[in-house]
Amino acid sequence: MRYQVRQVTDYSYARPVVFAQHVLRIVPVDRPGQTVSHCDITITPSPAMRRDDTDFFGNRRIFLDFDHPHRALTIEMRADITVAGTSRPLPGMDPPWERVRETAFASADMSPSSPVHALFPSTYVPRDPMIRAYASASFPPGRPVLEAAFDLAKRIRDDFTYAPGATDTSTPAAKAFAMRRGVCQDFTHIMISGLRGLGLPAAYVSGFLRTIPPAGKPRLEGADATHAWVSLWCGPELGWWGLDPTNGLIVGEDHIVLAIGRDFVDVAPNGGVVIAAGDHDIAVAVDVKPLGA
Amino acid sequence: MTFRSQRTTDHRAERILAMLARYQPVPGVYDEILDEKGEPREHWKPVLATLADLGPRELEKRFSGADRYMRDSGVYYRVYDDPKSGERAWPLAHLPLVIAPDEWKALSEGLRERAELLEIVLKDLFGPADLVRDGLVPGATIAGSPDFLRPLVGTPPRGGSHLLYYAVDVGRGPDGRWWVLGDRAQAPSGAGYALQNRLAMARSLPEIYRNLPVERLAGFFQSLRSEFSSHAAATNSRVAVLTPGPLNETYFEHAFLARYLGFLLAEGADLTVRDDTLYVRTVSGLKKLEMVWRRLDADFADPLELNPRSQLGVAGLVHAIRSGKVTLANALGSGVLEARSLLAFLPSVARARLGRDLAIPHVATWWCGQPLERGAVIADLESFVIAPAFTQTIPGLLDDGAVLASSLSPEHRLRLAEEIRLRGSDFVAQEVVKLSTMPVWNDGYLEPRPFILRLFLARVGDGWEVMPGGFCRIGDRVDARAVTMQRDGRSADVCVLAEGPVAETTLLPTPDKIELRRSTSSLPSRAADNLFWLARYMERAEGTLRLLRALGDQVGSGETTGPDMLKRLVDLLVTWEALPKDTVLTEPQAVAAAVLHGRAPGGLLSLARAAHNAASVIRDRFSPDAWKTINDMVHLAEGDKRMEAGALDRVETGLRLAAVFSGLTQENMNQLIGWRFLKIGKRIERALAICRFGRNFGDARSGTAGLDLLLALADSQITYRRRYVMIAARAPVLDLVVLDPNNPRSVAFQVERIADHLAHLPDHAADGRLNVPEKLIARTRVDLQTADAHTLDGRQILAIEQRLMAISDEVSERYFTHRDGANPVGAAASDLF
Repeated sequence: MRYQVRQVTDYSYARPVVFAQHVLRIVPVDRPGQTVSHCDITITPSPAMRRDDTDFFGNRRIFLDFDHPHRALTIEMRADITVAGTSRPLPGMDPPWERVRETAFASADMSPSSPVHALFPSTYVPRDPMIRAYASASFPPGRPVLEAAFDLAKRIRDDFTYAPGATDTSTPAAKAFAMRRGVCQDFTHIMISGLRGLGLPAAYVSGFLRTIPPAGKPRLEGADATHAWVSLWCGPELGWWGLDPTNGLIVGEDHIVLAIGRDFVDVAPNGGVVIAAGDHDIAVAVDVKPLGA
Repeated sequence: MTFRSQRTTDHRAERILAMLARYQPVPGVYDEILDEKGEPREHWKPVLATLADLGPRELEKRFSGADRYMRDSGVYYRVYDDPKSGERAWPLAHLPLVIAPDEWKALSEGLRERAELLEIVLKDLFGPADLVRDGLVPGATIAGSPDFLRPLVGTPPRGGSHLLYYAVDVGRGPDGRWWVLGDRAQAPSGAGYALQNRLAMARSLPEIYRNLPVERLAGFFQSLRSEFSSHAAATNSRVAVLTPGPLNETYFEHAFLARYLGFLLAEGADLTVRDDTLYVRTVSGLKKLEMVWRRLDADFADPLELNPRSQLGVAGLVHAIRSGKVTLANALGSGVLEARSLLAFLPSVARARLGRDLAIPHVATWWCGQPLERGAVIADLESFVIAPAFTQTIPGLLDDGAVLASSLSPEHRLRLAEEIRLRGSDFVAQEVVKLSTMPVWNDGYLEPRPFILRLFLARVGDGWEVMPGGFCRIGDRVDARAVTMQRDGRSADVCVLAEGPVAETTLLPTPDKIELRRSTSSLPSRAADNLFWLARYMERAEGTLRLLRALGDQVGSGETTGPDMLKRLVDLLVTWEALPKDTVLTEPQAVAAAVLHGRAPGGLLSLARAAHNAASVIRDRFSPDAWKTINDMVHLAEGDKRMEAGALDRVETGLRLAAVFSGLTQENMNQLIGWRFLKIGKRIERALAICRFGRNFGDARSGTAGLDLLLALADSQITYRRRYVMIAARAPVLDLVVLDPNNPRSVAFQVERIADHLAHLPDHAADGRLNVPEKLIARTRVDLQTADAHTLDGRQILAIEQRLMAISDEVSERYFTHRDGANPVGAAASDLF
């Protein structure tokens, strides 16, 4: 499926910002099953310095310095992206979850796609015995890993209320878990916490969903904003699989990957240090148009 | 003669026996001082003899001298979870650990070898990761470390070495061998404390340090200084010590080592990265830096690429490193060596990469991420020490870090086993080590206590130099598996004995490589900012106290104008925010108590605390006595005696403290640039106060009573009485307190001094052109010189006041914030997304 994606981020500041350093992770890149044919970034006002690089996990980063007082900043990204549909593994192809864990612990791979990077607690996903206890109901001994994780994703969709505004980007998983409410970021952190608690390698994916559903299908939650979901390593044969706990499904060609990391920190679309006396406000608008296959 | 000598020896032997009367080594544990037969070991004998000769009474005296030295030098460490955020006095154990020459030789050689191996490991892990690919180290044992910093992968450090300064904890096992207990590669602390311990002990027991061939520590620091400075040779810049700040537990050491080595003590807020270069903000603009001794955990070093929540780091630092513009000791990511999981695999790495076993073994360790090891550990949990594989603690499970599994409750052990079963990757099991014991002094007797010895190594050229001494931490209990300075425990000096005589070394500047320091040109802006505000707060406090004194005098003198003046003084205190708006008090003691101890922002409590905060950041820049005076001021305001009675006496105490502080900064501080900022702050604040007093009590409606009060507030009664033998009259009083440049309390005097200080600040134009603050002060001078005392009114004084405030703003702008293309520090809020 081909998509045209447009993301506009508007910053507005109560008092002029004298100096600011930003790091943006808003550029989609080619990945297995995904091709970016075209990507444009427009930044207003223009920065004093711009530097682009690629981080450890292969995400594109843009570093910006602003050294002139400004009260607003607009960053627009437009991209044409093609997502290839992948066929889900047949039942029984995925190994028992315990074996996945042992394989990950023993991995001799340190490359960015190795499961070892997604095994451990991280800033937003500390150890949490409560979440693990919740997750373990989907993981009886010997259950195939993807089947178990799919079950967990569906349980999260069913047990939790999608409630924009209930949390913000700094909400820890434990809090959203206790409230049983949140948005895609919270559900993703909760699911990652549960999986890692069981020793399974789970990564955080940020990206987009198609805005208008295909005819006859319901509109997915999170389509008008930057979305997030889980990527689970299912052993060396199957590799990484996307699971969307917000919508309770295994990721197919409706999901467009922007960045991958251990949790939100690694993929935060807008990071940086802004020296300002006053408050700030950020508004993000996302539009994902299918252009056909 | 022979007879006498014999008697001395007998006497000595008796005394040694007496000291050792309660010394009972623990069975199955190596003792440093007594051998298996209970006889003193050879290398301890001279020390015991010296102690015996001095005798218990003299020793007690010496020991309290050592403690006094520690207190006087302000040695402290901070305890994080202390509710009062307490600084603790340094707990010094009074007997040194003595290490024999041959033993030291073997130990230090073994540690050099280990440092070399660890460098190989770091190079590999942040490079090709062959150790993982070859199956020598499981990837998860590295990936699990919070210090495996992915942004640094593939970035070889400038100069090629990750590890420049390394510390290692060792202990001696029952077999008499030294064992490595853990590696410290992140930002090892202790060397500065070791040096302090040495200084204290050498003063209190000079007999030992003079008569025995004790290796000196200074040579090590000399090498370290030359080596670090050589990394900054390209720009001839100073080496910076990057500290998390005064709230860090070992901040004292950061400040002490910076001063001792002539390095620049800097916090993240002092530094900035422009393009790809690291700079320090100074009062003379941005200065390049290319060598940083990092005492900050790596994750906090750069909010752009590492922990985005860090407010302690420098945005862009990782980029400057990647661009090869700066060297860090140690390279970001070196902390990965502290992962205990790595210990399980180092022996095979040594065999594979060095072709031999390490000479000094480390404590046997098993990583529970492997199924076989995990099974064995769970089956026999009680015989192991269980520790977090990567972190200090695991909340809810290993809250105190490493723990002897047998010491846990059965329920706790069960939970631990279950956790290991699910996430074995996060745990290691280690063999239980029985540490050797050394003597501590207790009430005239020696008693055995277990200890851990931290040793320090610095990379010098192609090799490693080991500090011939160390930081010895002594446990209070005999099971000392988990001694840290955060808990109870004392520390001792470590005397390494040399084979031959020891050359005197001192750390006076050496001619090689080290440039003379120009303290004036590299004063960090933040330090200047804090000196400026420290002075302003202290002077403001003095002004407030003077108002209170005047208030008391109104009653004491029995003058009839009382009620009106009282009310106006109280009103002024309200205007100064020293009292809350709705204050109706008029009874002087009550008012004084409210101003001294109340919470109003202009009250003494707030001012003293603000001064304390400003001072705590720059403690290394003025004398311990001045610091103590500020503390006394805080205590005065916080004091438990907050009752009204005696409040006016406390005002007098406060004024004395203010005078002491003023005198100390005048007499005991180097009159360099920092001092000038302190003085400018003080002069501006004083001038502002006199202006405000003048407007309030020198106006037409105030009359004689007001003018008398004004003279008192400006501390100018005596001069006035000497000059004019008459009651206070408006024009002469205003002339004296506002216009007369010869009266040290007058506004004009302050302005003259400010002008002089400004002329001595760094970017004073050579061609005589004035900068903005100078222009403002010049105009103020002229206004004061040309004003007429007879027509001087409140409006004119207010104009001077406003000009002074503008000067304060301009000085801040010009020297502290670098607004021209730079970001402001301190006052402005820093928002992190």
